[in-house]
Amino acid sequence: MRRRYLYLGWFLFHFALVLGIAAQQTFWILAQGYTALPRSFEQHWRKAADFLTIGLGQDLSLSNPVRKSLTAYLHGAGIEGGYGFFAPNVPSSYKLVFELHYPDGRVDYDLPHVSGTSTGLRLTSLLDRIGRAQYEPLREVMLKMLAYSVWQEHPGITTVRTVFGYVDVPTLSEVEEGKKETYNFLYAYDFTFGNPTAAPARK
Amino acid sequence: MKMRDRLFGFLFQAESDSWLAILRIGLGLQIICYALSLRHDWNALYAGEANVFISRDLTEAILRIENPLVPQIGFFVTLGKQTGLSEQATLSILWMLLFCAGCTLLLGFFSRSSAVLAWLLHLCAAKSGDFFAYGLDNLMTIGLFYLAIAPLPDRYALDVKLWKSAMANPARLGFHRRVLQVHLCVIYFFSGLTKCLGDGWWNGASIWRALTRPPFNIIPLELLAAGRMVLPLAGMAVCLIETGYPVFIWLRKTRSLWLISVVAMHMAIGLSMGLLLFSLIMVILNVAAFGADGFALPRRVSRWFVGVSTRKTPQQSAIFRAA
Repeated sequence: MRRRYLYLGWFLFHFALVLGIAAQQTFWILAQGYTALPRSFEQHWRKAADFLTIGLGQDLSLSNPVRKSLTAYLHGAGIEGGYGFFAPNVPSSYKLVFELHYPDGRVDYDLPHVSGTSTGLRLTSLLDRIGRAQYEPLREVMLKMLAYSVWQEHPGITTVRTVFGYVDVPTLSEVEEGKKETYNFLYAYDFTFGNPTAAPARK
Repeated sequence: MKMRDRLFGFLFQAESDSWLAILRIGLGLQIICYALSLRHDWNALYAGEANVFISRDLTEAILRIENPLVPQIGFFVTLGKQTGLSEQATLSILWMLLFCAGCTLLLGFFSRSSAVLAWLLHLCAAKSGDFFAYGLDNLMTIGLFYLAIAPLPDRYALDVKLWKSAMANPARLGFHRRVLQVHLCVIYFFSGLTKCLGDGWWNGASIWRALTRPPFNIIPLELLAAGRMVLPLAGMAVCLIETGYPVFIWLRKTRSLWLISVVAMHMAIGLSMGLLLFSLIMVILNVAAFGADGFALPRRVSRWFVGVSTRKTPQQSAIFRAA
């Protein structure tokens, strides 16, 4: 019987975390105003999300052993994220184009290369992460790493310009009017790898 | 009946190990497919320097700030360097180990060690490649975590044939199955709820966007446009299936319908969007959690479908009677 209480204790602990994380992520989505709910509720959703963040120990300092243990458990059990797949709406997809500048002034274009479909899906996920990155230096470092792999494949180039944008897919009625998908510019960065520092970013 | 008894009755209901066999075999197959799908890019994806995407060093540095305890591929690379192995050699060995863990899980050979190894290696890969991970990795970690702590081996495992391992307590089997079942309900409920709150899922716009968004745009636009009437219905069906899952999957009368609907939904996602591995893991988790009883079909049909899953070994029957 004592063993059953142990199992019950773990069950309650585990599902408190699962439900807490899932609810926190849902409140966060609601607070962003991405849903059809009235915007006047947004502050309440934000408060609820903040309350759960505190409840899950995620506001403790990074060195706090309780937070460390909880985070390790969440990652180990695969429950550190919510479950809003393609919700509340399907976002646009991002696209990355490399402009390869040669010393003679010639310009070539390239795209990120992958060998298989499965890796292609991961590339999409990576571009989504870059597109959503709020911290600009992190976005620049990620794009620089992608540019570096292209530079290694084309040793003669002087500069790699990474042009990052999103693909706007036409709606059903727009397709019937003959509209095609459009590519919208977001950021561009010039990287020169002969020089250890990147050229100033151009946005 | 007391609340406590009802709760214990729900959590520790005696179960056969058929669901566990489905989970083990399914996840073994999933790991094999996952490893094979990444075999060409594995070393390039997880390399520290000559990386095709984002250096593993950056991902792991960020992860270490958050928590240094989370397993990473870098741990093994450091260990390999101390024994004279290059990074590329270590990465190849890790891929081989993951593939072998999938094969041994499929066979049920050293089931527990294989499950723990598969969980650990997949977790390392998912965390070290966190920037390019997606829903598939989370769900695989969930499935492998539950498998690793489940009372393995099941009666179909090679371990039982070879070492005559003792059968697990049916109440414990029931508990672990309940955990998986409740977790699936949470996943579908929140996934469905957030979809219901977006107007795009009610008018078909989200289905349209999901099917036309690169790289999921497998179906030609013209064909999709021709089936415009189906899109709002498909969107509403997704909302209904997911939000209603925590209720209708438990009711005996609707369980088969809901299970077939959710499996069909995942198969449709897999075929129409190319998310085959994601669909496979969802089907495996659903069938293991709720389909191990043969979809509540007539007994003769279910026996034909799931072999001997509804039969118990004499040893298990004795344990059942005792439980």
